[in-house]
Amino acid sequence: MNRRKFVQTISLASLGAPFMMRGMGMEAITKKLFDVPKIVGDRVLIMIRMNGGNDGLNTLVPLDGYDNLAIQRQNILIPQGSLLNIAATNALHPALTGFRDLFNDGKLGVVQNVGYPEQNRSHFRSMDIWTSGSLSQNETRGWLGRMLDAEYPNFPTDYPSEENPDPFAISMGYEVSTTCQGLRANFSHSVNNPFEVVNLPNTTTVNDGTYYGSQMEYLQMIISQTNLYGTQIRDAANAGNNLSTLYDLNNPLAKQLKNVARMISGGLQTKIYILNVDGFDTHDSQVQQGSPTLGTHANLLKRISDAVYAFQDDLRLLNLEHRVIGMTFSEFGRQVASNASIGTDHGDAAPLFLFGSCVSSGIYGSNPTIGNTVVNQEGLPMQVDFRDVYASILRDWFLINETEVQTFFEHEVSYHNIVGACNVGVNETTLSTKELVLYPNPCIDSTTLKVEANNELIKVVLYDLSGREVAVLLDQFLDAGTHQIPIKMHGYAKGSYRVQVIRKTGMESLQLIKL
Amino acid sequence: MTELDDNIQPVSLTLAPYTGLWTREHAAHLLRRTLYGPTFPQIQQALTLGMQATVDQLLTLPTTEPPLTFSADDGVSAIGETWVDKVYPAAAQTAESTRRLSLFAWLMSRINQGGFSIQEKMSLFWQNHFAAQFAFDSRASYTYFELLRSSCLGNFRQLVKDITIDPCMLVFLNGASNNKFSPNENYSRELLELYSIGKGPQVGDGDYTNYTEQDVAAGAKILTGWTIQNFLSTTVNTTSSAFVSTLHSGGPKTLSNRFGNAVVNSAGATEYKNYIDVIFQQTETAKFICRKIYRWFVNYDLTSEVESTVINDMANTMISNNYELLPVLRELLCSQHFYDLSVRGAIIKNPMEYAFSMYNSSLSKPTYSLPINTELYYNLYFIIGALGMEYAKPPSVGGWTAYYQAPSYTRLWANSSLVKLRFDLSDNANALGGINIQGNRWGVDHIALLNSLSMPDSAEDVIEDLVLLFCTKGLSDAYKMQLKALLTNGLPDFEWTLQYNEYLADPTNPDTINPIKSRMTVTLASIFKSADFQLI
Repeated sequence: MNRRKFVQTISLASLGAPFMMRGMGMEAITKKLFDVPKIVGDRVLIMIRMNGGNDGLNTLVPLDGYDNLAIQRQNILIPQGSLLNIAATNALHPALTGFRDLFNDGKLGVVQNVGYPEQNRSHFRSMDIWTSGSLSQNETRGWLGRMLDAEYPNFPTDYPSEENPDPFAISMGYEVSTTCQGLRANFSHSVNNPFEVVNLPNTTTVNDGTYYGSQMEYLQMIISQTNLYGTQIRDAANAGNNLSTLYDLNNPLAKQLKNVARMISGGLQTKIYILNVDGFDTHDSQVQQGSPTLGTHANLLKRISDAVYAFQDDLRLLNLEHRVIGMTFSEFGRQVASNASIGTDHGDAAPLFLFGSCVSSGIYGSNPTIGNTVVNQEGLPMQVDFRDVYASILRDWFLINETEVQTFFEHEVSYHNIVGACNVGVNETTLSTKELVLYPNPCIDSTTLKVEANNELIKVVLYDLSGREVAVLLDQFLDAGTHQIPIKMHGYAKGSYRVQVIRKTGMESLQLIKL
Repeated sequence: MTELDDNIQPVSLTLAPYTGLWTREHAAHLLRRTLYGPTFPQIQQALTLGMQATVDQLLTLPTTEPPLTFSADDGVSAIGETWVDKVYPAAAQTAESTRRLSLFAWLMSRINQGGFSIQEKMSLFWQNHFAAQFAFDSRASYTYFELLRSSCLGNFRQLVKDITIDPCMLVFLNGASNNKFSPNENYSRELLELYSIGKGPQVGDGDYTNYTEQDVAAGAKILTGWTIQNFLSTTVNTTSSAFVSTLHSGGPKTLSNRFGNAVVNSAGATEYKNYIDVIFQQTETAKFICRKIYRWFVNYDLTSEVESTVINDMANTMISNNYELLPVLRELLCSQHFYDLSVRGAIIKNPMEYAFSMYNSSLSKPTYSLPINTELYYNLYFIIGALGMEYAKPPSVGGWTAYYQAPSYTRLWANSSLVKLRFDLSDNANALGGINIQGNRWGVDHIALLNSLSMPDSAEDVIEDLVLLFCTKGLSDAYKMQLKALLTNGLPDFEWTLQYNEYLADPTNPDTINPIKSRMTVTLASIFKSADFQLI
């Protein structure tokens, strides 16, 4: 069997033959890099669903369009002075202080204008599209379900097993997530309280081939799984730990993320955690009348930002930062113009957030263009297909090869450099397929930035961990094609840096480690 | 296992009347699907009446009482008096809090005391369809629920018209703030997508086969001008909707080619009716609601065969009857397809069905003072809410996911967390005495259940009757033997007969009641936690 194991263990030493760099074994580098007592364990993906359709334009405000936003959405416009500036032409909603701080720490990425062709403005259809990762009406599986099916085609028969004792995915709360719907069963196990003792009675009857028989089989399977997974989850929760003091337990998302950190630290091998925040369908009273920095939307954003900030703090203290990344998603953004109910109606594309120390921090994609007159029902056109965000996560976080990633999607996948910041030491052939590469990384005195250009002005800036600009490495017009840009790191302090590539169409960042 | 043999029969896809043998299994199937927890006497009654007469009786609506004030917090109406036609006191929020709890309790009490009518099942069907949350004035919420209840077997087109300007709905989907200066699309979109014609596949930019974004925008304009009045009023005793012509967007509105480019002319307060008439000219509108009726009463799986036979036939009946619901339901509930063995037990009970199949089938009603009964009912309301089905607060405007989310459908009611909560609820209602308000408990009534069966003194008959009542497709003989051993505590059957006769001789003595009650509890605990009991 040379079938890829879902979510390979990414102990760096195990990635084929260890390559040498100036006489240093890769294992030695690994130790230095991550400073963790044991080998780096499995990677985890957190997904936070912003249910209802998040208003992207009030979440990440394009400052170059601010004057026109004032024309289009005057009654919900956040005063410019209250916004949290994170780049020359981008500012976050004032409730997103946690996100701002993560951004400044190099732990937050934003992908602008994410959507899909011919946006469907139905909550239900659009959420189905996002969870299935497909525009096909006939796709009933989730995108993660498809991937898990490929690896564990018999699920749920004979699971949990000795090799896979833990749920593949956990959905926090009382619902399972459609992202994990497989052919025969949903791969996500719903968990409300991981500390709970579960011991439900069960029976066995044989499926007689009728609807009744198949429902009976399902019910007996779910009872049995609930008992078996329940024990694993409880044991992990009891063995695990939380070290951050920043969780606000009145914030339901914070409470759930605290439990997630606890399960991960307790050794649960679950790869995917899905969480949900309802209430983003802000047709009315999106902001408090007269106080646009307050109200429903502000409260929802604060809930997410605060919770993620505390979670990230916990991961750092638990030494788990390099194992976990997260993303937010929502079924659509909202229309450019607001309505008279101090709200916004269903729209199209919107920004998507990525968090964790392994995401490429920065703003990916260019600002949406805001017109100076109201166009009835106008939404924002998509620039980045959400399916390519998924595909990039599968390739660069779960390290699934491109050929296989493509089999999970109906469209021709193109990749974005958004979650590969921790893939240091991955061999050059893997990297050669990417548009933006730093090699070698980690480096000693110098490294090379490989960048694809398209007759455009490109600026490359080096930042240190505190977000301070260290040097402008490049600021020039590059012809179409691949360019190798040497970067001298001699004389700089050892540690972690961020290399930011800025062009008209957006920004990308890579993490660079100097030894 | 005779069930296995029966399943070899070909699946019947016809709505032609069922003419086969009318057994108690058929009667039980009909009542399980149309009532919340039928009682054993109701099944016997249906068996005696026969199919047609039973369906006729199910399709009549009882008259119901409005919710009553149960707390002095109301401030205006006295305890025992209804508040639905009363003004609010100055302390409106305090009154509203208690009225809302009274409304929630009332919704549960209706299901608990529903009688021999499909009304409760149909009312929740419509609540799943329109899915409005309770409003901030419970009088408006009550009016909304009363509209669903009184129209539940009426005319679908008229119901959509009435709902469109219902004050609770005008709040829920922002119709009340939809005006010509800045249209709010919320209701307009859901009217098409969820309430009437439904969305088809997206076949072009903003084109959803049955309608387009142009229709969403035109509909929003057509619906401008409707506002709400007298919410939380201290002087007017009812809420209402009102049409304000100065807020209405005048001029003709042109619909898309999906509606033949129909033009809805400016007609003020009646304009929305003309628009809805256009939507209802499309046969797809009949099919859309028939699919939902099918999912609610028959099976989640709309196969292409079912679509081209049963759904088509239902829609034809609906159209030829001018969108009247009664003929459609009568035909369906008397059809060969409805009684086909292939669809029996195909549905996982929703939380309402799960909870009330314990309470109602055991003829259990709270028997305390009005305030205590109300508290017991609204506690059950929140428990059922925790199981995933809060009556007056569906999770989204699409209703509960179990009725639309492929491929899991009703399996969504029983995932790992929820199945555990179900078992907790059954323990509470059955073994732990039920909900407790200041020592007043309401749970399964074991003795009433036992006494309602055909031969309570015969252990074998008790088990047969309980299996009929609670297990959709019967149980194997071996399983029934196990249950009987639980009932008799492993003793010979005659010991149960003796014990029951002792109780009959002295029916108020705890020493004679408790032994049979405890055996019933143990037996039911096993049934309520079986996979079979999750199905209808």
